[in-house]
Amino acid sequence: MRKILLSLLVVAMCAPVFAGAKKKADKDTNQFRYEIECAGNAIQGTYLVKVWSYSKKAAVAENQCRKNAVHGVIFKGYGGGQGCVSQRPLANNPGVETQYAEYFKSFFADGGEYQKYASLMEGTTEIVKVGKEYKVGTVVSVRKDDLRKALEAAGIVRGLSSGF
Amino acid sequence: MRKSIFTLALALVALVASAQIKKPELMVIPSDVWCISNGFYTEVDNMGTTVKVPNYKQALQESMGLKLAIAKLNDLMAERQFPLQSLEQTIKNLEQRRMEDNLTMSKAGNELAESPLDEVTRTAKCDIILELSWELKDFGPKHSLSYILEGRDAYTGKAIGAASGTGAPSFTADVDVLLEEAIVANMDNFNNRLLDHFTEMQTIGREISLDIKVFANNEAGIDLETEFDGDELIDIINEWLQVNTVQGRFSMPYASENVANFTQVRIPVYDERGRAIDANGFAKQLTKVLKKDPYNIPSKVLVKGLGRAVIILGEK
Repeated sequence: MRKILLSLLVVAMCAPVFAGAKKKADKDTNQFRYEIECAGNAIQGTYLVKVWSYSKKAAVAENQCRKNAVHGVIFKGYGGGQGCVSQRPLANNPGVETQYAEYFKSFFADGGEYQKYASLMEGTTEIVKVGKEYKVGTVVSVRKDDLRKALEAAGIVRGLSSGF
Repeated sequence: MRKSIFTLALALVALVASAQIKKPELMVIPSDVWCISNGFYTEVDNMGTTVKVPNYKQALQESMGLKLAIAKLNDLMAERQFPLQSLEQTIKNLEQRRMEDNLTMSKAGNELAESPLDEVTRTAKCDIILELSWELKDFGPKHSLSYILEGRDAYTGKAIGAASGTGAPSFTADVDVLLEEAIVANMDNFNNRLLDHFTEMQTIGREISLDIKVFANNEAGIDLETEFDGDELIDIINEWLQVNTVQGRFSMPYASENVANFTQVRIPVYDERGRAIDANGFAKQLTKVLKKDPYNIPSKVLVKGLGRAVIILGEK
């Protein structure tokens, strides 16, 4: 009985810490403050991008890289050079993010649908201390064909065959 | 009651189906520069000048890289629900048609002066040509592939958009691997341009050019300044174009009593029965009007590819 009470006490003490970390992550990344660049030629149906995220905690920034990569592929696109081909964002209309704010709020929520379309490449993380915060870069593979299909199905992005 | 609902449902389905227009047809061909630099051409004597004409059949038979590139592009376009027309099959159809043409004489004994590309696009009835070129470059022990995919409107020959670039230097000397990489990396950008073109076509129609000429000393005794109920023939044609083009879009850069050139003529993509209209079909609609009362003008339509037609007035 005492053990159970002790466990409950530990859980209760840790909960605000986790909640605080989550809140911190949301606060740091809510503005989608990141840089995205090409990380090389990817296999068919994917983009390989390097995303640099910012936070006062390196772990927080690293955790947000997947979300930022998907956000970048949808709304920012990225430049080319050194054998890389620049890519336009999937959403051609710049007003889409505001127009479908509700959809994207749930899409980019913690544990949201965005997770299905991005995976971190192991051993590619770089951490740079910039002033009082950390700049964390990691390579992410984004399944852009599947992502585009999902956005087309939701009516957010116009498909090549729409209107025919 | 049940019958009425069923009929209503059928009518609705038909309405939805008719509101949609057919997908444009796309076909990949190797560019002239690629064909010539790789030796896939034939030399033709054109009024004393030797001209190199691409030989698509030879290129398909001898270049594995071309076959691979076409297969890869087809794969990527099919994924976007746009399977490509086969160049190989089109050439077979073209050869069949040539054989048939050789067996039958043209009514007026005229020859259609068309380039191999015009012949291919007309046989395939494709809307957009994807012209492909690539070249392997050496940088010491490394190799890099320069790649160009250029989209052209088969009707006007105008460029729709292009995707091009040079890949990162690699120790891989396998052209096929580098080519596949280049195609995959550049396809999204190309498709974005294609999407812009489709949106424009759906909004303001397909672009063609139309030339109207008059047979000298023709039997009908008309020219473009002949008057019908006080209006000159050229004004009547202008009025017809104003009504039958999309949003009345066309321009007439030159007109005289014997010749009128109409450019940037925007015609509907499909007629009311859902059939694709090309310059020839559009020109024939005009000749039908001119053939009737009160004009009674016989005319002849010459085909110049999908996007250009010449109407010669005065005789058949």
